[in-house]
Amino acid sequence: MDFISNALVIGLTEHAPLVLAAMGFALLYRLTGLINVAYSETVTLGAYFGMWVNTTFDLNFYTVLLPAGVLAGLVSVGTYFVIFRPAKRRNVGTLELIIISFGLSVVLRHGLQFVFGYPVRFYDVPPPHTLFVLGVGVSTFRLLALGSVLVLALLLYWFIQKSRYGLQIRALASDEDLAQVSGIRPLFVTAMIWFIAGVAGGLAGAFYGVGSSVAPLLGWRQFLFILLVVLVGGAKNIGGVIITGIATGVALAAMTLQFGQVLYAQLALIVAFIVILKVRGRRATDLAKV
Amino acid sequence: MNLDWLDAFLVSGLFFVVMIIGLALLLHIQLGLARIANFGVVGFWGIGMYSFGVLFVKVDWPFGDPWPFLISAAFGSVVAGLSGLLVGWLIADLDEDGVLVGTLGFATAVWILATTEQDLTGGALGMGGLRFPYDIGTVKANETLWLVLLIIVVALILYYVHRVHRAPYGRLLTAIGDNEPLARSLGKATFRTKIWLFAFASAGMGLLGAMYGVMERFLETANIGIDITLAAIVGLILGGTARVWGAVIGVAISVGVFDILVQSYLPLPRDWYSQAIPVLREAIFGAVLIIVLLFRPLGVLGDMRRDKLMRSMHGD
Repeated sequence: MDFISNALVIGLTEHAPLVLAAMGFALLYRLTGLINVAYSETVTLGAYFGMWVNTTFDLNFYTVLLPAGVLAGLVSVGTYFVIFRPAKRRNVGTLELIIISFGLSVVLRHGLQFVFGYPVRFYDVPPPHTLFVLGVGVSTFRLLALGSVLVLALLLYWFIQKSRYGLQIRALASDEDLAQVSGIRPLFVTAMIWFIAGVAGGLAGAFYGVGSSVAPLLGWRQFLFILLVVLVGGAKNIGGVIITGIATGVALAAMTLQFGQVLYAQLALIVAFIVILKVRGRRATDLAKV
Repeated sequence: MNLDWLDAFLVSGLFFVVMIIGLALLLHIQLGLARIANFGVVGFWGIGMYSFGVLFVKVDWPFGDPWPFLISAAFGSVVAGLSGLLVGWLIADLDEDGVLVGTLGFATAVWILATTEQDLTGGALGMGGLRFPYDIGTVKANETLWLVLLIIVVALILYYVHRVHRAPYGRLLTAIGDNEPLARSLGKATFRTKIWLFAFASAGMGLLGAMYGVMERFLETANIGIDITLAAIVGLILGGTARVWGAVIGVAISVGVFDILVQSYLPLPRDWYSQAIPVLREAIFGAVLIIVLLFRPLGVLGDMRRDKLMRSMHGD
């Protein structure tokens, strides 16, 4: 019983940023059809922006979440306008788009070191309070991450399913030409998608960063798991991604407790998810819409 | 032999460049012809290197050189090839995103195993005990001969790729890359072709990994990062994915310029070499991928000769 409660609490709180990042990635993937490898750097930049605002303006962690998310969102929109929109206009293929996003990921990951410096950086925050949940000590930052995921999940669901802009986003994803003749401004809606995805990634990065350290590989180390969660969870609805993300977090925590080694847990998860993708077989995907 | 005229940095730099050319040539068959984006090049290269290293170091060999090397290198290639067979089987019927996950996941799995299995691999501390399968005098002489042997191996890979381009097998790979359902509807065994393609290319990558392990004499997990995959992809894309010589030209003007010219011969401040230059190198490589694919998708060398011929025949 202790094992189960430990796995649940650790999995939910420690891996909540994974769910947040996967939600943002899924939004982008579902609505643009693009596997954006550079999304990993949106996560990394969120951590760096949060750390920079925190250490430069001496603001507490909760206050820096807003600028971290917004700045990461703006970078995300910037990559769309500078790289992916021109690529779409040039009719670049799906495979080439993945390689372009891989190149962008490498540029951002290394370029940010010229801006923020080479050494590993840390948030300047007081030690978080520890609360006990089901007998397991959890830091307040991690509880906040979990709370943020729940709130953002509800907000995203409401936004996509119920709001006017959400309707426009779904219409654009379904049929771009029809959406355009219906009066939807595709450029504005697409930019909004990239911004929201960037905000989600940036917030995830800030939570990852405050929980450990801020390093150039922060987002890249999570990217494979973000991708696996989205592909296995099914990008058609955010709910599937959230459930898969939570299950992934709990499974990682449980296997880490069992094996005593997080890397074995990650290995088991990679193998399991790839086998699931194999068993599920070829998925019908549209060409990249960007 | 007097090798005083030969710079030791040049030998190790050339070795790395030639090895990346070999990887890019093997990637060319996968990405350039069959349009399978293998983002796990370093995984196959790394599993070959570590399989070779573990067998070479851990076994108390009853034979003298070069048999321990030959048997271990063959073992490394077979393990890499079998891994390629498995990964190929897993991803052969998946779309681009599944291929990305499968190959990237495999490379991550290899890194995890190399890190966690400390008894075998030395983990993050690394593993020594590797050596050349001969001794012809000085370290520089041994390294130079090893470079010559690598050039021969990569030349054979180049010859093989050249033959593939002109063989029915190459046309089948191109057909799979252009329109796989059509190739299958014409009775071609596309699934089987793809998994064997992965197996053979991976075995080649594993052999190159084994040879690199000997050159370094020390295996560490820092070697099996994404940098190797990036270097091979950048070289191939820059030179041209459709042409046999694309990988050679592309790697020469990307990795060659940076790892030999900039790293060894440009008079740059000494402290740049530890951090600024490696970071700048990777950033420029990433930028090259974006710029080439946006503005010259077929790379420096452009179309295949066959494509040009077809266009001229049809008056395009």
